[in-house]
Amino acid sequence: MKKIALAGAVVGLGLLVACQPAAQKAEAQKPKKKLSKYEKFKIAFYQNQDKWQKYCSNEAQLVPQGISIEEFKKAMLATIKFPPGGKVMGDWKRGEKLFGDPKKGGRSRRGNCYACHCGDPQIIACGNIGPSLRGYGKRGIDPKQTYMRIYNSWAFNPCSAMPRLGYWGVLKPEEIADIVAFLHSPESPINR
Amino acid sequence: MGKRALLALGLFAGGAVVGTLAVAKEKLPEHLRELLELGMHPGHVFVDEGRDYYHNLKGPNGKTCATCHGQDGAKLEGAYAKMPRYYKDIDKVADIDLRILSCMTKYMGFDPKDKKFRKEYDKKLRVPLATYVASLSNGMKINVEIKHPKEKEMYELGKKIWFTRAGAREFSCAMCHTVLAGKRIRLQGLPNPVKAKSYNHWPAYRFGSDRMWTMEDRVTSCFKAYFLFTKRWDEKKDWVKKPPLYSKEVIAVELYMKHASNGGIIEVPGLLR
Ligand code: HEC
Ligand code: HEC
Ligand code: HEC
Repeated sequence: MKKIALAGAVVGLGLLVACQPAAQKAEAQKPKKKLSKYEKFKIAFYQNQDKWQKYCSNEAQLVPQGISIEEFKKAMLATIKFPPGGKVMGDWKRGEKLFGDPKKGGRSRRGNCYACHCGDPQIIACGNIGPSLRGYGKRGIDPKQTYMRIYNSWAFNPCSAMPRLGYWGVLKPEEIADIVAFLHSPESPINR
Repeated sequence: MGKRALLALGLFAGGAVVGTLAVAKEKLPEHLRELLELGMHPGHVFVDEGRDYYHNLKGPNGKTCATCHGQDGAKLEGAYAKMPRYYKDIDKVADIDLRILSCMTKYMGFDPKDKKFRKEYDKKLRVPLATYVASLSNGMKINVEIKHPKEKEMYELGKKIWFTRAGAREFSCAMCHTVLAGKRIRLQGLPNPVKAKSYNHWPAYRFGSDRMWTMEDRVTSCFKAYFLFTKRWDEKKDWVKKPPLYSKEVIAVELYMKHASNGGIIEVPGLLR
């Protein structure tokens, strides 16, 4: 009611332009037109490509162009968020599921580490794109370092084939901590 | 459908398919190669189905493909070797899937806005018709030319897309098919379709899934790996799995790949693991 009165007053003053915000608000309340499949694809493929991916979209693929490696890494490092209390090691059994083997309850495609890495020696359906992670916990690597790598691999290796799973929110900080536990825990099949 | 499924089932029971990593035809497992030698290629069912539509499927105006393109596709021999290319009548660069659709809507009286027709074309008629028309170029060399300004534009777009890293998995065609070619993603070997000129065996019958695919199906399916999203990737709510069929982007990347396959001898339908 108030709005109409106000709009009326504004029109009265002849300042039609001032009506625009009110008009926009009315528009926002209308149900939005559903995006077509093609419009969705274009948003996803073009609009949502971030500037870091643009630096990597060249013929070399694995080396950023138009920015120094140091600057790139620094910016990526700054995106890393830790779980509450900074606890980078969670529950290795949950981590095992997220690591992504269907036989081990890993129905989700989110982690999908086995697509690129071998780990548990019992799982032979594993890719060789990344290095094998068998015995990873025995290598004396700081678990915090592992956490950061999984959260944003590009902070260590710009344009790597390894996706920035925490950065994009594909994995939550707590879930990454579970995976870190799976990689580091002495009871985990990775290290047995 | 039944015939195909039965054949595939028989082969699976033979234990030939499971666990093999072969991609290219030369690397096909023994059983599949023998089958080929016996002339029992499951993809041939689609060629026959396509030939049947070509001669007998009438548009609302009574025309069939044969009305314009001749009995047994006489005037379409060699056409597939030069596609995708620019067509003046539709003022577009079209691949085989889009070219046939355009003929049906422009020349046979089908309504492009009719959802039922579109569904029937996309799901039922497209693949057999494309496979049949492609088979009319068997034994010929791929010879795609980049001459018309629209072809140049599409080629450049295709090349750009090949190298574009996007989505929550930061993938690009080049990542899997150039940089990582020869490696294994889980158990699947990654081919290099640009270097290997593998466009020559598309459309192809894929044993694992008992499906005949055109290159549009192959490319759109590869996009699933990217984890594309509109707001924030979510497996259930916000996963833009594929570009729709006939998207400019799909045809552009086809043009890029097929041009790279120039000189390759067409041999379709292909037979893949
Ligand atoms: C698309 C392929 C891909 C996926 C998926 C992937 N990685 Fe990687 N990963 C790589 C590559 C390539 C490297 C080596 C280059 C680098 O360090 O970025 C790597 C490196 C690593 C390293 C460092 C290894 C070392 O020897 O220092 C760890 C740890 C790791 N990945 C863990 C994971 C985990 C956990 C997941 C699942 C959440 C995962 N990766 C998913 C490709 C992948
Ligand atoms: C009324 C005539 C007509 C009918 C019916 C018709 N087309 Fe066409 N078709 C054309 C014309 C015109 C072109 C464009 C030729 C050009 O520009 O080179 C064309 C082009 C094509 C091409 C590309 C040829 C090339 O040389 O690159 C293919 C393939 C094709 N049609 C397949 C089909 C199929 C399959 C059907 C049936 C579903 C069909 N057409 C029905 C008129 C027709
Ligand atoms: C995550 C990795 C991945 C990405 C990214 C990817 N593909 Fe693929 N592609 C595959 C796999 C796996 C196969 C199937 C290999 C097989 O059949 O064993 C394949 C098959 C193909 C083939 C058939 C090759 C042949 O030998 O017949 C073509 C062509 C192709 N992809 C094109 C593309 C294009 C174009 C893009 C970019 C839009 C793309 N792919 C992105 C993994 C990928």
